[in-house]
This record gives sequence, C-alpha cells and structure tokens, in this order.
Amino acid sequence: MQAGNLDLFQSPFILEVLKFVILLILFFYAIFALLIARQVDLMSKTLITPVSPVVKAISIIHGGFAVGFIILVFGLL
Amino acid sequence: MFPSYTENPSNVCFEGQDPDETILLLLRAHPITNLSWIIPAVIIFFIPFLTPPILNNLGFGGILNLPATYISAALVINYLLVLVITFEGFLYWYFNVYIVTSKNIVDIDFHSILFKNIDLAPLKNVEDTSSNMGGILKAIFNYGHVIVQTAGASENIDFANVPNPHKVSDFILDRVHIAGGH
Repeated sequence: MQAGNLDLFQSPFILEVLKFVILLILFFYAIFALLIARQVDLMSKTLITPVSPVVKAISIIHGGFAVGFIILVFGLL
Repeated sequence: MFPSYTENPSNVCFEGQDPDETILLLLRAHPITNLSWIIPAVIIFFIPFLTPPILNNLGFGGILNLPATYISAALVINYLLVLVITFEGFLYWYFNVYIVTSKNIVDIDFHSILFKNIDLAPLKNVEDTSSNMGGILKAIFNYGHVIVQTAGASENIDFANVPNPHKVSDFILDRVHIAGGH
C-alpha cells in the first residue's frame, strides 16, 4: 500500500492536479486579500485612530503578498 | 495598547462626528472574546507539525513523498490561513466599537466583509439602559451586554460583551441626565 501511495503521488497527472488546486486556492485567497484591503479602507474611514494607517498599510502589503504568491507558486511548481 | 474601555480618548474620531461633539467613552468587546479566533488560529498553526505522524499512522505516508515545492506550497497556504484568521479577527474586534459622545450614542458594526452598520441615537432619545452579565467567563472577566432603549421607532442599541457593563450603563444614564433627556 505504501509503495502504491508513493507511485501515486509521484505521477505527473496527480502533480498537475495538485498544482491546479494550489493555484486555485491562492487565486481565491488573493481576491479575499484584496477585499480585506478594501474593507480596512472602509473601516479606517469610519473610525479614525492612530492605528488606522498602520492597519491599512498591513492590508495593502498583505494583498500584494497574496498576488505575489500566485506568481511565485506558478513559477516554482 | 488596545484598550477596550477608554474614557475621553484622544486622537480618535469617527465618520459623521460634529466639530463640537466630543467622545466621552469608547468601548470594544472585552479582549477575552478574541479567544474565539485565537484558538482556531493556534490549532491551524500547529497542523503541519501534527499531520505527518497522523498520515503515517493512517497509511497515507506517501503524501509526504511529494516534491518539496508542493509541500512548501501547502505550508504557505496553511500559514496564510493563520494570518488571515488573525488579521480578520483583530480587525473585527478593533473596528467594531461603541461610542458615547456628548450628543449621541453610536454603535459601529462590521458584520462581514464590506458590510457596515452604524446605529446612532441622540442622548436625549435614550429612555433607559440595562446591563446583564451571565456565564462563567463573563463573571470572571467582568464583561457583558448593555442595552440602551431609545424612544420612537428606532431599534434599541446593544453594546455586546463590553467590559464593566454596569459602570457603562450608569455612565450613559448620567450623560443622558446631563443632556436633559428622560
């Protein structure tokens, strides 16, 4: 059974499917991250505190990373 | 650094605040309520450490023989999930606030992504306040609900899980009396 599993997870078809699944998850994550950035913008305009610009900057960087990961994973896998 | 009960906060203002309106009390849910997202985040953080022995025991150890890049991508997804749970949890806690100003009571809620709700009631319309505290955690950490009943057709304002609920309730009524309400 162990040898069968080993072969299965080395097959090009399975690896292609996994690559597609990983890219799909990262794609949805990137959309979600951009929505969070928009949400933080909305929140920061509603309640203005000294922390608001910091949170806003973090959300933008986070959105950038999420998009960057798609490109990185697409290139690596 | 991030207090949940602040009287006369400085450097804080909100959308729609009048120039002559001052914030007297700024409230958030008690920090202990953040456990509802901290615990899942911690569990997901440790999933990569727990998964290999579990997979081996179940006979699916072959998954671990995937190329290192695939394993790394799975790890990245796992920790992105931890990051997003933590960030969203903090955002909801930090920006869902209850404010008592010299004129109004304001309840700012962000229920989900891109959904904003602001309840606003003039102090003179406040008829009554009540506070309740029930449950082990609430009794230990002294937090609970404050319900502000307002006149007219407007809905009551509910301050959920705020610290010192009885003190908050009394604070609001004192301000109502000063403002010349009921």
